[in-house]
Amino acid sequence: MTHATDREAIPEPQNPLGLDGIEFIEFATSHPQALGGVLERMGFRPVARHRSREVELYRQGTMNVVVNAQAADIPRTVHPGERPAISAFALRVRDAQAAFRRAKDLGAWEIPVRAEAMELNIPAIHGVGESLIYFVDRYDEFSIYDIDFRAIPTVDPHPPAVAGLHWFGIVQYVGADRTDDWVAFYSQIMGFRPLPHEVRFGIMPRGLLLESPCRKFFLQLIEPEETARFAPMEEHLQRVGLGAPDVPAAVAALEKRGIEFLATERVHASERGALTKPLLGSVMFELVKSDPRP
Amino acid sequence: MMTFHDFGMDTASLAGPLDAKLAAVREAGFAQVMIAAADVVGHPGGTAAGIRAVRDSGIEVTGLEALRDYEGLAGQMADYKIDVAKAMLETCAALGGRLLLVEASTSRHAGTDAGAIAGDLARLANLAVPLGVRIAYKALPWSRTAPDFRAAADVAMRVNHPNLGVAVDAFDVLAFGVPLDDLDILDPGQTFLVQISDYTSREVRSSEERLATAAHFRVFPGEGAHSDDLAQVVARLDTIGYEGNYSFDVYNDDYLQVPPAVVTARARRAATWLSETVLRRALPVPDVARLRAAPS
Repeated sequence: MTHATDREAIPEPQNPLGLDGIEFIEFATSHPQALGGVLERMGFRPVARHRSREVELYRQGTMNVVVNAQAADIPRTVHPGERPAISAFALRVRDAQAAFRRAKDLGAWEIPVRAEAMELNIPAIHGVGESLIYFVDRYDEFSIYDIDFRAIPTVDPHPPAVAGLHWFGIVQYVGADRTDDWVAFYSQIMGFRPLPHEVRFGIMPRGLLLESPCRKFFLQLIEPEETARFAPMEEHLQRVGLGAPDVPAAVAALEKRGIEFLATERVHASERGALTKPLLGSVMFELVKSDPRP
Repeated sequence: MMTFHDFGMDTASLAGPLDAKLAAVREAGFAQVMIAAADVVGHPGGTAAGIRAVRDSGIEVTGLEALRDYEGLAGQMADYKIDVAKAMLETCAALGGRLLLVEASTSRHAGTDAGAIAGDLARLANLAVPLGVRIAYKALPWSRTAPDFRAAADVAMRVNHPNLGVAVDAFDVLAFGVPLDDLDILDPGQTFLVQISDYTSREVRSSEERLATAAHFRVFPGEGAHSDDLAQVVARLDTIGYEGNYSFDVYNDDYLQVPPAVVTARARRAATWLSETVLRRALPVPDVARLRAAPS
């Protein structure tokens, strides 16, 4: 008897890792309090501190942000510096070990098996530049933060989101002519799908959009322009995109909290989106008109 | 448009320690060099010193060579080879190189299942993405997986990964009498490197002779018995739109017994001949050339 796949093409599953959105986004910084101040102005609240490391958890609505000031001792990871950098994102998956194994088999670099920012053994792979991608499962039964973190007393552990903010996506800067390589990487390993060029969100139209197989968030790949194309290659996670059901309302609420938005001829807040001025020299948040997906 | 600067030396053509090789390459006016991995990890001061020597030389790295017998393995042998591949990718990235040359497997332990080979190479292509390195897959006449560039192009097409292309060795085109028209099957966008060398014997009759010639008796373009054919190969590659680098893969035992400067002078003559006589290409737009040459 011949094997089934010899006779017919069995399509790859649409969502091979059982991806289910972003569990957290991690920033690395040597000035965690300064970044904490920025996050609070953006509507996040500190809800827990790591039991043993210089790591804090911020939250608003469904969004978790981990602020890591602990120097990592593995190569090709972000060293916390004065300017905060997006050092990792964690993906919710059906089975973290299975997702990790599949990613490895398809060409992802595993990071050494050991406890990272978390005491829990969360499997991770190298992403763009010095960033990491974590795989987290069992996020609905219990929280990974229950084990590693100590709740900050008297603080609401589930602060509501300002103006309905939710994760929309992550913007990744890639080198010249490198978009196709990253599209192949994300689609082969994680099942992301490139969107047609006419599909655009927000007010920052450049680059290529990849939709997660769970359809809950996007990655946006942006190449350098013009003469910057000849500069040495620089690739990293550049900014976080937040979805807002009503962008002008979200802009107004955040301005009231002390956040400033770019208001130039080319880039200014509108119904479609808005972009904050750079904070602490490097941190930007982009607002995009979007309703949270269930 | 190509100029002298699109031609590069190969450290495997030269005698001596890495520092002496790099100095000779630079003094001959070459802007790029293909690095044989053994030259870096065999540096008397260790790998880090080898990497520093390359970076400090200011010479652009055409690529790192060569990952061998990688694809088609199973079980522990495959795991072992992945570790070797990862170490070479990291070395390549540390050198500032953007290309890893992968030679088609000649291992008797390697399977020949096309799907499995494509899977192995796709994995390699993905491993290389975060490091900004491209995979150039090169045929070897004594490989069962890809004995010539046509087979290598078939494998690459099956892999279908933008980060994996082919490297063409012009020597193999000449030594096998491959029709020039066959070069037209190459996708110029997925042809990542062309290696080029000549040889002095008019004909190679047996496969043993071909192997010996390939490994020991190559000479620079214009110095051998096949200048006209080589010129036609280069002209044809230019016609189909190939715009990548040319690297002199001249493996010659005599050249390993003379001072590197003697060899690089011959290489310089070859690069001049090809760029000025064969290709007769226009100068590039000046500001682009300047920006490309800017130190990182």
